[in-house]
Amino acid sequence: MAGWVSISDYEYPEGLRNSPNPPRILFYKGNWRPEIFDNCLAVVGSRKMSLYGKKVVSEIISVLSKKITIVSGFMTGVDMEAHVQALKFGLSTIAVMPCGIDLIHPRGNDFTYNEIIKKNGLIMSEYESLFQPKIWTYPRRNRIVAGLSKAVLVIEASVNSGSLITARLANSCKRKVFVIPGSIFSNLTEGKVQISKDFAEFIYSGLEINEFFNFFEDSVSSKSSIEKRENTNEILRALENDSMAVDDLSRKLGREVSDINRELTILLLKNEVTEKEGKFYAC
Amino acid sequence: MLVKVKSIATRGIQSLAVDVEVNVSSRGIPCLEIIGLADKSVDESKGRVRTAFQNSGLDFPNKKITVNLAPADISKEGSLYDLPIATGLLCATLGLDVPEESLFFGELSFDGTLRHTKGAFLLSIYAKENGFKRVFVPTSCANEASSIEGVSVIGIDNLNYLVDCLRGGENFIDRVCIKNTPTPQTDEVKLREDFDFSNIIDQFQAKRALEICAAGGHNLIMVGPPGSGKTMLAKSLVSLLPYLSFEEAVEVTKIYSLVGKIPPNCGLVKERPFRSPHHTTSYAGMIGGGSIPFPGEITLAHRGVLFMDEFNEFPRIVVESLRQPMESGVVTVSRSKISVDFPSRFILIASSNPCPCGFYGDPKKECRCNENRIKNYQAKLSGPILDRIDLHVNVLPVERNRLLKGDASVGESSKSVRDRVLRAREIQENRFKKDRVFSNSEMSNKHIGKYCRMNDDCETLLLQAVEKFGLSTRAYFKLIKISRTIADLEGKDNIEISHIAEAVQYRSKIFL
Repeated sequence: MAGWVSISDYEYPEGLRNSPNPPRILFYKGNWRPEIFDNCLAVVGSRKMSLYGKKVVSEIISVLSKKITIVSGFMTGVDMEAHVQALKFGLSTIAVMPCGIDLIHPRGNDFTYNEIIKKNGLIMSEYESLFQPKIWTYPRRNRIVAGLSKAVLVIEASVNSGSLITARLANSCKRKVFVIPGSIFSNLTEGKVQISKDFAEFIYSGLEINEFFNFFEDSVSSKSSIEKRENTNEILRALENDSMAVDDLSRKLGREVSDINRELTILLLKNEVTEKEGKFYAC
Repeated sequence: MLVKVKSIATRGIQSLAVDVEVNVSSRGIPCLEIIGLADKSVDESKGRVRTAFQNSGLDFPNKKITVNLAPADISKEGSLYDLPIATGLLCATLGLDVPEESLFFGELSFDGTLRHTKGAFLLSIYAKENGFKRVFVPTSCANEASSIEGVSVIGIDNLNYLVDCLRGGENFIDRVCIKNTPTPQTDEVKLREDFDFSNIIDQFQAKRALEICAAGGHNLIMVGPPGSGKTMLAKSLVSLLPYLSFEEAVEVTKIYSLVGKIPPNCGLVKERPFRSPHHTTSYAGMIGGGSIPFPGEITLAHRGVLFMDEFNEFPRIVVESLRQPMESGVVTVSRSKISVDFPSRFILIASSNPCPCGFYGDPKKECRCNENRIKNYQAKLSGPILDRIDLHVNVLPVERNRLLKGDASVGESSKSVRDRVLRAREIQENRFKKDRVFSNSEMSNKHIGKYCRMNDDCETLLLQAVEKFGLSTRAYFKLIKISRTIADLEGKDNIEISHIAEAVQYRSKIFL
């Protein structure tokens, strides 16, 4: 199912219409249901997502009400993770493309792309056919992301990142902006601190987003039940709060790296930990 | 009058017999000519020999002299034929006999002394293999040539001394020759202390990987941001490796003799080679090349370490060309006229940044590259080449405050790690006595079946890992080899689950 909606049409999303400089025509793929636009939350963040960011996305989305729609920009990193986790936890999701509606960009994400359409989500763009993304189409795309959403959640952002553009646009059309706290040792925290000083609100749990949307009924048990589950394994306990490299673990636990490595393999195979760029974190 | 003197020509690290036939004829216009596919350096021998004769106070025969280098169909190059030609001339004019079962080799200087000439070691090897009793070489090459047992070496200082030797006959020669310098006491080799493990802060994971590398002769790639200590780690590997055994030293010395990298008066090469070619090294410089093939960096690193810093910056063709030599330990360099095999069994240590700017994944510094550039950069390390590298390690920078506060730990010194490595190497030596294999990394699948027994639990774990990380069959066997080395480091006869579990950590993905 594909088609287009013009700004003069009745179906055109109200939120977007009320934002500054809305696109005249929206091309889309998927099933256009007006109710999909009722409770939109934009999830944005760095293309170079850290392990922490990845963990946050899945943690937050896992507790969100199923009535919320996740809007994001179908980019590598946080955007893609948001779409994937939304699909995983059964939330509708809208991908706003910076390119023509018929182009899958970035390449190699066909699976997620098709999955979004299949699972009653939408692919959306203001450009038609196979228009290639340009450096200026990314920030323009962000205004649609911000315009569609009632609130924007910034997962990770360095200074001058596109996520901050989305956050500022959202603020300028009076949408709520949430940010997730981060470590001061990460460059992906800097941007978040910047916007928090101006307008954004720090949140600690996805339940606060549910409250914002006035969904109180389904306080689904959080994935972070790991904390309650009392880890017996000391490596898993050490990884609960922070991602660590083998060296860090060895130092913290006072054990040989060879020893740590052996246990990590077993944990990896049991899917209890994941690895990214040499750092491990508990699933 | 016709005199025949024996010498050699080198083809790769193989040598061929060359007869230097000197004919001094009273008829014809006085001249000296050299025939037998001699290149420029051989042809210039005329000038050197003539002048050396004059400056040594010897009469240069005023006759028609023809020198033939037989066989005439293989090309000869190098300055080593000066001494055989001079010997031939002396014997012809003075009416002396050429010493029997002897080979001659060396470059003449204008003042009549002999210069250090490359390839003396190959000459001795050839002499021993082909039943020659003596070799006549420049004095500065005598040590090199006499490292082989059963060959008498006569070091020649200058032309006048050569005349003495020729005049003195067998008795004189037997008195002055050097039989065989004792095989070098390898313990004398001093390790360079500036690249000791105890000088490197933290990085225990990488150090452990290097220990495994050293113990089993495995290859390693380290990926990490600039300044995380990759180069220092790589250089410290040499301090972990066992000294060259005699057989290994012979192999290495052959190569170094061929390329002229053995300094005057030195004998067998005692230190393991450590080569770190720059990333602009050409394909021929890496693999070996030239119309008469000359060994490249991978051959110079034979039995040692080839360190490729900024692995990703090497031209693709250079990196890809490593594939076959890494697997087989031999590189065949073929040119239109000739094809030569060079040994190339080295430990490859590669290091690379994770992205063009270098800071992708760095906790503190922001990476400035866009996604596509990172992808392209990493894609340059093709699957096949990564597949052939046994151990993959991420090296993260040490936190700055840990460096300054001085609470950073350095762990073991190279020496104590080295003791473990030596024990593991000893176990391997005993295991592979009959197999013509030196280390675990060289095991073929047949050897794996024979020496890497494990129980069903281990097999299950291995298969799970292969499944989870999407490893190739080659990677599967590499995992077993690494496990074998880890077991050897612990002195265990059988591979246990813990060994495999550790090995898996060095095969999981390093990128994205």
